[in-house]
Amino acid sequence: MRKSTIWQILALGIVAGLCGTIVPASAQEPRLQDRVPEAVRSEIDAVLDSARAQGIPAEPLVDRALEGASKGASGDLILRAVRRLANELLAARDALGSESTDPEIVAGASALRAGAEPEDLQSLRSLRADQPLTIAAAVLADLVAVGVPADTAAAAVIALAVGADDVEYIAFRRNVERDITLGASPVAALGVRLNAAAEALDYAAPRSASTTRRPRKP
Amino acid sequence: MTDDTSKLDRAIGLLREPVSIDPSLDRRIMDEIESLPSPGGWKKRVWAVYDWLMRGRPVRVSPLGGLAVAASVAAIVVLGRTEPSSLDGTAPLTTALQGSAVQFVIVAPTATEVSLVGDFNDWNPTATPMQLVAENRVWSVTIPLNAGRYRYAFLVDGNTWLSDPTAPPVGDDEFGRPGSVVTIGET
Repeated sequence: MRKSTIWQILALGIVAGLCGTIVPASAQEPRLQDRVPEAVRSEIDAVLDSARAQGIPAEPLVDRALEGASKGASGDLILRAVRRLANELLAARDALGSESTDPEIVAGASALRAGAEPEDLQSLRSLRADQPLTIAAAVLADLVAVGVPADTAAAAVIALAVGADDVEYIAFRRNVERDITLGASPVAALGVRLNAAAEALDYAAPRSASTTRRPRKP
Repeated sequence: MTDDTSKLDRAIGLLREPVSIDPSLDRRIMDEIESLPSPGGWKKRVWAVYDWLMRGRPVRVSPLGGLAVAASVAAIVVLGRTEPSSLDGTAPLTTALQGSAVQFVIVAPTATEVSLVGDFNDWNPTATPMQLVAENRVWSVTIPLNAGRYRYAFLVDGNTWLSDPTAPPVGDDEFGRPGSVVTIGET
């Protein structure tokens, strides 16, 4: 072997070593060891690193991987679920804004998976600029989960965005679920409860807003 | 004899004299009668109430009002239920929020062990065992939760996954097992 070739190999080795110290390999999430199949663990770690780099919460991704492992899912299925959730978290963060909290982003991702559009989350953010959106976005996802069409659920949640607080959102969701349990169709239950909630909010509004109030039935 | 006859004539004469009666006598007598307890009166009153209760009346109820009444009845039935409803005799009972402390409850009469698994405990089946709280039927555990949205499920005897029917279901079931969701708002 020629002397120059040896020096070239040595130089490459040094450069590679330096790169290794400057750009470390994906950090391994210790909770995934011994639980998630070895074959996909490094890929999941890469997704986690990417999430952290993009400023979206990585903890829900770890949770999703652990859920899959605990439920006996295959490595491929777990990896697909983690990647899908990462994309939804990113979309939710983009829709809600970079100042969003982790719970808001997670709830927003649930709403997107349920079928809400990013524009729905943007509307919620603009209408409730000074309030957390976690409950509102979660209620949207929960309504879809019990059978309300996504666009209808989104419209209802947005309609309540101005006047309803978190407690009222939760009460609204529970009432709709209860009516569905009693046999009402999801859309009918939502319509009835939305009217009742809107009316209650309307009557609870300050007196200054009474000029726009509808006439009350005797 | 003559003496007896004269006494009898005097008595007859007294009886034949007109008698003046107090004009308010009738009223006073009737008042006395009405004040006396009448035998069978309470029965009449009971029958009157029964008749009032049984008499049909038209009732006007708005659809929303009717729905609210039906929902109230259902809530009483559901919340008051203490028996399992599923075929295998195992059914979650209720979930109540108490600030940041969340209570999870399940009715599992045939279970030997029940654990709560979810996003809050790394889905570790041994992390949050549930405790028997009533007559070998009701299992419960209360854990603190920070703001967020958590997926969870009940794991019965290490092999049966149950969702919580009193909580919103997981909309998508990516891993083929049931699950529920609880959301804690930010304060």
